[in-house]
Amino acid sequence: MDFKSAVFYFLATVLVLASLRVITARNPVHAALFLVLAFFSAGGIWMLLQAEFLAIVLVMVYVGAVMVLFLFVVMMLDINLERLRQGFWSYLPLGATIGLLMTLEMALVLAGRYYGLEAMPDPGASGAGVNNTKELGRLLFTDYVYPFELASVILLVAIVAAVALTKRPRKESKAQNAAAQIAVRRNDRLRIVSMPSEKE
Amino acid sequence: MLENYFPVLVFIIVGIVFGCMPMVLGWLLAPHRPNAEKGSAYECGFEAFEEARLKFDVRYYLIAIIFILFDLEIAFLFPWAAIFKEIVGTPGVKLFGFVEMLVFLGILLIGYVYAWAKGALDWE
Amino acid sequence: MNFLMPDFYPAAAEIFLLAMACVILLLDLVLTQKQRWIIGLLTQATLVGCAVITIMTASGQVVLTFSNMFVDDLFADFLKLLVYFSVSVMLVYSRGYLALRGLDKGEFYLLVLFATLGMMVMISASHFLTIYLGLELLSLSLYALVALDRDSARATEAAMKYFVLGAMASGLLLYGMSMLYGATGTLEIGGVAQAIYHGVANKTVLVFGLVFVVSGLAFKLGVVPFHMWIPDVYQGAPTAVTLFIGSAPKLAAFAMTLRLLVYGLFELAEQWQLMLMMLAVLSIALGNLAAIAQSNLKRMLAYSTISHMGYMLLGLISGVAAGDRHFALNAYSSAMYYTVSYVMMSLGAFGMILLLSRAGFEAENLDDFKGLNQRSPWFAAMMGMLMFSMAGVPFFVGFFAKFSVLLAVVDTGQVWLAVVAVFFSLIGAFYYLRVVKLMYFDQAIDTAPIKANLDMRLLLSANGLAVALFGIFPQAIMSLCTFTLLRSL
Repeated sequence: MDFKSAVFYFLATVLVLASLRVITARNPVHAALFLVLAFFSAGGIWMLLQAEFLAIVLVMVYVGAVMVLFLFVVMMLDINLERLRQGFWSYLPLGATIGLLMTLEMALVLAGRYYGLEAMPDPGASGAGVNNTKELGRLLFTDYVYPFELASVILLVAIVAAVALTKRPRKESKAQNAAAQIAVRRNDRLRIVSMPSEKE
Repeated sequence: MLENYFPVLVFIIVGIVFGCMPMVLGWLLAPHRPNAEKGSAYECGFEAFEEARLKFDVRYYLIAIIFILFDLEIAFLFPWAAIFKEIVGTPGVKLFGFVEMLVFLGILLIGYVYAWAKGALDWE
Repeated sequence: MNFLMPDFYPAAAEIFLLAMACVILLLDLVLTQKQRWIIGLLTQATLVGCAVITIMTASGQVVLTFSNMFVDDLFADFLKLLVYFSVSVMLVYSRGYLALRGLDKGEFYLLVLFATLGMMVMISASHFLTIYLGLELLSLSLYALVALDRDSARATEAAMKYFVLGAMASGLLLYGMSMLYGATGTLEIGGVAQAIYHGVANKTVLVFGLVFVVSGLAFKLGVVPFHMWIPDVYQGAPTAVTLFIGSAPKLAAFAMTLRLLVYGLFELAEQWQLMLMMLAVLSIALGNLAAIAQSNLKRMLAYSTISHMGYMLLGLISGVAAGDRHFALNAYSSAMYYTVSYVMMSLGAFGMILLLSRAGFEAENLDDFKGLNQRSPWFAAMMGMLMFSMAGVPFFVGFFAKFSVLLAVVDTGQVWLAVVAVFFSLIGAFYYLRVVKLMYFDQAIDTAPIKANLDMRLLLSANGLAVALFGIFPQAIMSLCTFTLLRSL
């Protein structure tokens, strides 16, 4: 076993164990942190597959941004841990059976023959000059320009949806609007009424 | 290619060892005699009134979501920057490769303007 | 770097829609509350503009662009026109409803436009990636639309369920696509078909991927056993959004199914027909039986959707019988005809709920339709025709839709399947006719006068009459379906 395989098996073991802990950890914060570990090991495996750009993006976006949001939600959310775990044991037999069946099916299909080294040979190490990021860019900005622009539209929809669903005018807000304060006219604040003088 | 990342691996390993060593040493060397009083939560001498978790304002998530979206936008810029010289150097693709990124950024800029004008970036 | 500039002309409608959506988005920021009507008008104008562009750019040929990721053929053009039309009708129906509930914000129109763009992308997709991106664009907009009424706990719950199950379905679909990619080495739908035809691909891996793709599609179509989200989402969402989900996206889902299964995996037809057959029988049975037990009209229509999608699948499974492929055109156009006529009926039925709803009151229970004849004989007649059509009573459009898929099934010799379908459609007739009975023979509980804008009354009447009219002239739509499919396959 060469060094690369050793690293692979190490990362794969960590990935599987971390993923298991994600669903079995009793504390949701721990589960989220194990998910970080799982993403990180997956990033390492992608790196071994020479997908360096994707590996770094995985770490940057998922670990750097998505998991921060997750931790936000999990740490701050007022969740009742006992209620969350209710029904775990009653759902377990059915869930485990389905999971086991799917695993078996996948194992049957994927084992050796179809996705083994004979069917899909190792493309071999790319030369020292090949830059994964550049290869990706070449494809992304030529052939894949349509999906690329669609991606920006999806991000735009996400912004619109996020703002529409979470932003509401706050009635109790005490914020000062300096522009409005400066732009105020005399007539907005002051009303001159003519009153007949009172006679004593 | 992978050889280039060997220092990174070494760095990660050293980082993990360096971070874990003091904790392991502390756990091994420190005296270990817990009792009920020591193990209980300490809150100014009172019993804890409530759970430490409390409902947080939805604005935190809004900021975090907007951060993720623009983080993803930036991720698309890296491969573009890596081949920018190549794009500019190829006659047929020159303008196209530049304009497509402008369109991409433009669409997201509209989203940014939208979020800004709707007050999603204001705290109060 | 070797690259030819793509041809933007076939995608002109998509580009126009996106540009207009951006304009509306920016306008929404500067308009005052009183000028908001401009947004609704501009949205309608955008849809009309898209229709004009789609008609103008239709060449009748199969045109591929963007490195074979985008296809423009008559099938796509026809479905896109129907999508614009049904979205436009939906906007007219829901204007008053949204205004009364404070939901007629710019976001509603924006999300509807983006969802429309997603449907267009799906309809014109010739690449797994574009199918997926179009689907996500559509789904993301729909999730947000369902949750748009933020103060309604029901709507939020519905959005949550929709989102979780929809994300899972997307995952299944992606997983299946990745298997197909592993087996064929390409993501292009045409390339996949070629690879399978030439026997390059491993059959076991293909079928394995196919199972996941079909499951993902079944989720999106909402057929049993992947239907769990439909009743909750239909009931929980604001009725205007339910109307939207129940209409145009069905056309896009049909296009996606056809592109993936027929264009890409036609060689595996015998395999996926078997899977779809199980889904179809289960949907028809469960949809029709469960609908009987409902007292909420939106929920009843949700179960009716499930059964209708089951009938639609009947058309898709009769394309190939014992290796004989000459049924294909007939069968697929009958399925397409079914989808189109279902969208027409669904628009009308949800439109009636919107018509009877008013501020603070949703006419979503069956009891709210009691004695509708006393309140408005005209609209009672319209609703009656819609219900008759959904039940498949001759001679309404729904009858010919059912008739043509059943004919396609019988053509391939699966008579037992047709018998089962007819049996359950007889059971289904009960709950549709119950609505008619409530309208004509029961005393009205709710006697408030029906108030609605003139445009909505006119359009809803036209919708009801169309269901009758196309029932008398079924060939009008049927021949269009056959023609567009013939020119695009």
